[in-house]
Amino acid sequence: MLVLARKPGETLVIGDNIIITVVEVRGDSVRLSIDAPREVPVYRGEIHAAIVEANRGAALGGQMPDLKDVKLNQKL
Amino acid sequence: MNLHSTRFGEIEVADEQVIQFTHGLPGFPQEKKFAILPGPSDTSFLYLQSAQNADLTFILLDTFAVYPEYAFQLDDAIAQELQLSAENPPVIYNIVTVPEKPEEMTVNLAAPLVINGSKGWGMQVILNDTGYSTRHRIFAAPSEGGR
Repeated sequence: MLVLARKPGETLVIGDNIIITVVEVRGDSVRLSIDAPREVPVYRGEIHAAIVEANRGAALGGQMPDLKDVKLNQKL
Repeated sequence: MNLHSTRFGEIEVADEQVIQFTHGLPGFPQEKKFAILPGPSDTSFLYLQSAQNADLTFILLDTFAVYPEYAFQLDDAIAQELQLSAENPPVIYNIVTVPEKPEEMTVNLAAPLVINGSKGWGMQVILNDTGYSTRHRIFAAPSEGGR
C-alpha cells in the first residue's frame, strides 16, 4: 500500500484521469475534491461497506421464504 | 433465453426480463446479468435471479407500489449512462432481506436498483445523504408468534 503526505492544494493523480485534491485540513477531518470519470463511482467507504453487507445478507440462503401473506408496513 | 436457477429450476425468460448490470452489484461485482422474475401473485415482490450463478437469487420490492412517496435525486451521470429520460423513465426496485424471522424482513431503500427497461440495463445506485435506511422494516406489525 502506498502512503503519501500531501498539503492543502496539492493533488494526487490516479491513472490518467482521476485527480484527488486536498481542499482543507481542519482538526481531525480532511476535505477532498475528487475529479473522476463518470463511470468510476466514488462512495464514502462506510456507505459502500453497508451496501455490500446488505446485499450479501439479502442473497437467499436455503429455503425460499413465503411471501404470500406478508402484510406490508406502508410507512416510509 | 434459458436460465438455470436452484430455486426455480430451468426457466425460459423473455429478453425484456434480462437486465445487464455492467458494474455488477456491490458485494457481487462479477454478477453482471440477471433476470427479473415475477413474484407470488397479489404481492409487490419480484425475484432477481442471476443468469450466471444458479444459486444467487434476491427478493425485490416493487417500491413505488408500496411507498408511492419514495423519492431520490438520480445523479445526472447515472441517468446518462443508463440513457434514462422523461420519455424513458427508470424502473425502480429495492432489494429485500429476509432474516430467520420473516417478520424482521427489511428493504434496502438506500441503494435502489435503477433500470432502463427498454434497453435492459440496470445499476444498483448507492444514494448519499437521503436518510433512507439499508434496513427499512416492511412488516406491518409484530406477528402473533409466527407460524
